[in-house]
Amino acid sequence: MHNKKINVTLEEYENKFSYKKSKTNLNIEFNRIAFIFFIFLVISIIYSIQLLHLGSLKKETNSTKQLITKKNYRADIVDRNGNYLVKTVSSIDVGINPIEVIDKKKLLINLQLIFPNKNYIEISSKLSKNKYFYLEKKITADNYEKIMMLGDKSIKSEERLTRIYPQKNLFSHIIGQIDDNNQGISGLEKSFNQKLKKMKEPLRLTLDTDIQFLIREELVKFQSVFRSKGSTVILMNVNNGEIISMVSYPDFDLNKRETVSNVNFINRATKGVYELGSVFKTFTVAAGLEEGLIETDTKFLNLEKRLKCEKNTINEYDKKMPSDLTVEQILVRSSNIGSVRIAQKLEIDKLKSFLEKIGVLKKIDFDIEEVGEPIPFMWGKCKLATVSFGHGITTTPLQLAKGYAIIVNGGFEIKPSLIKKSLDNNLKQKRIIKEGVSQKINLILRKVVKTKEGTAGLANIEGYEIGGKTGTADGYNNKGKINTFASIFPASKPKYVMIVLLDGPKTSIDYIYEYKNKSGSYKGTPFNTAGWTSVEVAGKIIQKIGPILATKYIEN
Amino acid sequence: MKKVVFAIIFVSILATSLVKNSTKEIEDKIFIINENIRPLKSELGDVLLEYNYLSSPDKLTQYQNQYFEKNLIKIDINKIKKLVEKNNHIKVDDFLKNKNNAQQKN
Repeated sequence: MHNKKINVTLEEYENKFSYKKSKTNLNIEFNRIAFIFFIFLVISIIYSIQLLHLGSLKKETNSTKQLITKKNYRADIVDRNGNYLVKTVSSIDVGINPIEVIDKKKLLINLQLIFPNKNYIEISSKLSKNKYFYLEKKITADNYEKIMMLGDKSIKSEERLTRIYPQKNLFSHIIGQIDDNNQGISGLEKSFNQKLKKMKEPLRLTLDTDIQFLIREELVKFQSVFRSKGSTVILMNVNNGEIISMVSYPDFDLNKRETVSNVNFINRATKGVYELGSVFKTFTVAAGLEEGLIETDTKFLNLEKRLKCEKNTINEYDKKMPSDLTVEQILVRSSNIGSVRIAQKLEIDKLKSFLEKIGVLKKIDFDIEEVGEPIPFMWGKCKLATVSFGHGITTTPLQLAKGYAIIVNGGFEIKPSLIKKSLDNNLKQKRIIKEGVSQKINLILRKVVKTKEGTAGLANIEGYEIGGKTGTADGYNNKGKINTFASIFPASKPKYVMIVLLDGPKTSIDYIYEYKNKSGSYKGTPFNTAGWTSVEVAGKIIQKIGPILATKYIEN
Repeated sequence: MKKVVFAIIFVSILATSLVKNSTKEIEDKIFIINENIRPLKSELGDVLLEYNYLSSPDKLTQYQNQYFEKNLIKIDINKIKKLVEKNNHIKVDDFLKNKNNAQQKN
């Protein structure tokens, strides 16, 4: 036996692996779960917040949207004092669907109790025809309640929105009309069509209902005196262009929703384009003063009684017109030849650029679309002469008001407006005529009214310091006379400009004039001139509206 | 640090949702009030319309002719007086004189 010594060495096995809680590994696992949980939590919180938020928002938008998107909705229109000029009101029309009628006799008896004055033979025959018909349009709240209490399924109600014009004719040309599809077709209803459909608050205008009424009342009264084709008055604040009143006569009742096709119903204040005559002399003199070519006391000597230019003869209306006149006298006495001489000093470019500057020559940008465009013409030597006294040149009464406002307010640019804006937007900002021109012009315009030589003595109403200039012209294409009076008051610091235009007036044999610059009265219209027609109308209007303007707008 | 950031985010999310919930309650209240105001506004509009119509110069002139014998007269601006309060005393002044003086001062 071979014995071999085997040495077996037993060593203690040392396992280097020791089980330890691996913090890092476990942290990774935990962070992953926590992160996923966290993300879920964030998403669910955001979702729930969003859900709650949207839920509350949805209700709100729905309620306002409901009002706005209602078919035929249009915002109301109010005057400067918040009085409604146009209001959208909802009305209910009730109809009957005969197919759904269960007991015809019972229904007729019930209807008779609610509407005793209706023709029930006709209603009965309509019920037999099985065709839907309207039983009562714009039903009263009481009757609506009664008819709905019947609980008859055949009775159907339809809510409608309609436009109500509480002032009837008073603002017809300004507000305009809408068609059956709720689209504005004229006036502010047209130019603010989209805005009125979206606006929540009423559209506030610069107009004053009381003043508008008083002016219209005078125009209606004098319509019977002077039997003119039509007339218009614009009253505007010279400092901010706010139009306080704009009346064009004849007018129409907006509630009747009639189609107005007669041209005589146009808005004469904005759409009418007229040759306005001597009211343009103020512009000629102002242009001369602006250019420094004349002063108010500059003398023009040996003025002719008659001038010939091509085929035209230029005369003085007043046969007793002196041959030597100062600039002031030219305007006060309304000398045609004197105005021609001033224009000749100015020459075409300067007069043209002045008229362009005050916005008389081109179409005006205004709040309503019915705006007339002055008839374009070629300038020449004869045109310069006739334009100087307002002949051979046309413009709208609105542009005339703007021109006068700029000339008398210190020379600041203004934009006539019907929409009431915040005060900041309406302040005078840009001076376009030299300082000092207004003061000189205002003094002369006051003399036109105040002095015996002036042509507007009938408007010299005590307490208002009225100034102005008359203009008598034969209408374009000999369509009757256009008698205009452009007035400003108070002349020492003008606040208002008022244009009174009578289209085609005739003399009156019965009307009694009361002199203002001397005692006594005169029966009948001696001459068909602005001095005897438009000036009288303007005087009467200012007498009526003056106290309101003086007291109501004193803080403005 | 991470824990603190997580905690802040978590707390702020919770706080936001709580605030949002309370805001929602307020919004609901506002909504209900607005809904209640809406018909009142409409009613006020109708009443105002009626008032504007009945007190319009046209209607007033019509009532005047119907119920009064005397005609309306124009106010003479020279007869308008103005009450001026000075040192607890009320002075009656001519309106026109007052206005002219104010203009001269300007």
